[in-house]
Amino acid sequence: MKRIRWGVVLGYIILVIFAIITVFPFIYMILGGLMSFQETTSIPPTIIPKHFEWGNYAKVFAQAPFARYFFNTFVTASITTIVSLFNSLLGAFAMVNLQFKGKRFIQIILLSLLMVPGEVIIFTNYNTIARMGLLNTYIGLVLPFLTSIFYMYYLQSYFGSISSTIYKAAMIDGASDWEYIWKILVPMSKGGLFTVGLLSFISGWNSFLWPLLVTNEDSMRLLNNGLSAFASDAGSETQLQLAAATLTVLPILILYLIFRKQIIRGVVRNDLKG
Amino acid sequence: MKTNQKKAWLFLAPTIIFVTFFSIYPILRAFVMSFQSGSLINLSWSGLSNYQYLFKDPEFWLAIKNTALYALISVPIGLAISILLAWIIFSKVKHKSFFETTFFMPYVTSTIAIGIVFRYIFNGDYGLLNFVLRCLHLPAPIWIDDPSMSLTTIIIFGIWTSLAFNIVILMGALRNIDPNFYTVADMYGASGAEKFWRITMPELIPTLAFLLTMNIIGAFKVYTSVYALFNGQAGVGNSGTTAVFYIYNKFQIVGTPGVAMAATVVLFLIILFITFLQRKMMKKIGEN
Repeated sequence: MKRIRWGVVLGYIILVIFAIITVFPFIYMILGGLMSFQETTSIPPTIIPKHFEWGNYAKVFAQAPFARYFFNTFVTASITTIVSLFNSLLGAFAMVNLQFKGKRFIQIILLSLLMVPGEVIIFTNYNTIARMGLLNTYIGLVLPFLTSIFYMYYLQSYFGSISSTIYKAAMIDGASDWEYIWKILVPMSKGGLFTVGLLSFISGWNSFLWPLLVTNEDSMRLLNNGLSAFASDAGSETQLQLAAATLTVLPILILYLIFRKQIIRGVVRNDLKG
Repeated sequence: MKTNQKKAWLFLAPTIIFVTFFSIYPILRAFVMSFQSGSLINLSWSGLSNYQYLFKDPEFWLAIKNTALYALISVPIGLAISILLAWIIFSKVKHKSFFETTFFMPYVTSTIAIGIVFRYIFNGDYGLLNFVLRCLHLPAPIWIDDPSMSLTTIIIFGIWTSLAFNIVILMGALRNIDPNFYTVADMYGASGAEKFWRITMPELIPTLAFLLTMNIIGAFKVYTSVYALFNGQAGVGNSGTTAVFYIYNKFQIVGTPGVAMAATVVLFLIILFITFLQRKMMKKIGEN
């Protein structure tokens, strides 16, 4: 009995140490964003600021168009999520419920493309977007991401678990495919669609390399690019950098804490199949 | 059957169109461009010269060396820590979902933002890490501004970011292990260590093989975390350059897209090879 107890105590100690290592940077970021400049560079380091300098946030908004970055990021992440979800939904439905020549071929092509890393195609895609004259536009920011093989594959496994007899019954009752999708398939897989939507929105919010390539005007930047540019411009003003970092992270962190169960479940399900 | 045909293609049309233009075409284009030189607007055939340039370029070899070292060091360490933590959460602790939620946080948050925080913590003069190290009378290296420390700094940050995904996937796998195995082991009086090595680890092998591949592929694509740590640079004097950094630099800044695409093809082949190895490994495991 005693030996088991010690194991548990040791386990808790290790877990707590690593939990602190994981969470501390977030807490330090939030606190550091409320410090004065002297406090951020003092030795020994300040952990909790004497006065919360809320003015740091006003300075951040005054020095860089963060409101605009927020707007851009929200718009691109939302459009990408909605359109790619719609396209994946239709595609996954066809792959699961319809019989047609070439289905296996399409499946093989899509599965092989799933293995192509995004970094391999991102530069030639930039070239395409540039030649279409779409640099520094919302269309350019979202166009290559309006469909997602990954999410389509995910939805396929989701739809596959809905019995095909339901589809057949709906067809016998005279429903069209379109009606089946919106009246039966979507309501029955709300949970899966919602999770895919969340994951897509989060990855859209955190995207970095693509917007870095296709935007160079300040007014078209997304949050992460704005943030990294701000971090170089603000140079030594550490407290402003940390305040700006907090602005970028906080919305997603709140979203995560609200929907943590769906998000974690979604990621686990996603990746064991891949 | 016949009527289904047309409909099916109609439903698949958006996917097929986008995939053709933004997945298939760019791959082919990258291959073609790797045999061309000149600027983006004015490309001409140049045979294998890009590849010849690449293999003679010490910067390319540094990028490959850094990327490979990063993968070979950060992935096993990250995976080992993840197994330890997932096992403790699974077997010893009551507040499982609390710890799971905590450890998963880095996965959803922006690498750029957290990288800025780490740059601050790693700061040689007033950074918190060196303050702690000095208090413990340990050496306090210049994490960010010393070229010989760049890779170490990137690896530490890489391990920190990789735990989240690994732990959550491992927790999923641990939950899937048949609890009867443990019940039987308990009946025979097996110790905790015996249960871990003889039941848990063998059952986890497919998941570990999957995570190993995912992590190594991810490590070969490392870019954003380096960018964030060193403020848009690849470390002092490019000391921490990586494969994707090299490609970006050749493509966007130096303006030799042909060389960049040759490097892309090489990176692609490396990643393909790793995926292929994984398939083989999984097959072998499946046979046993």
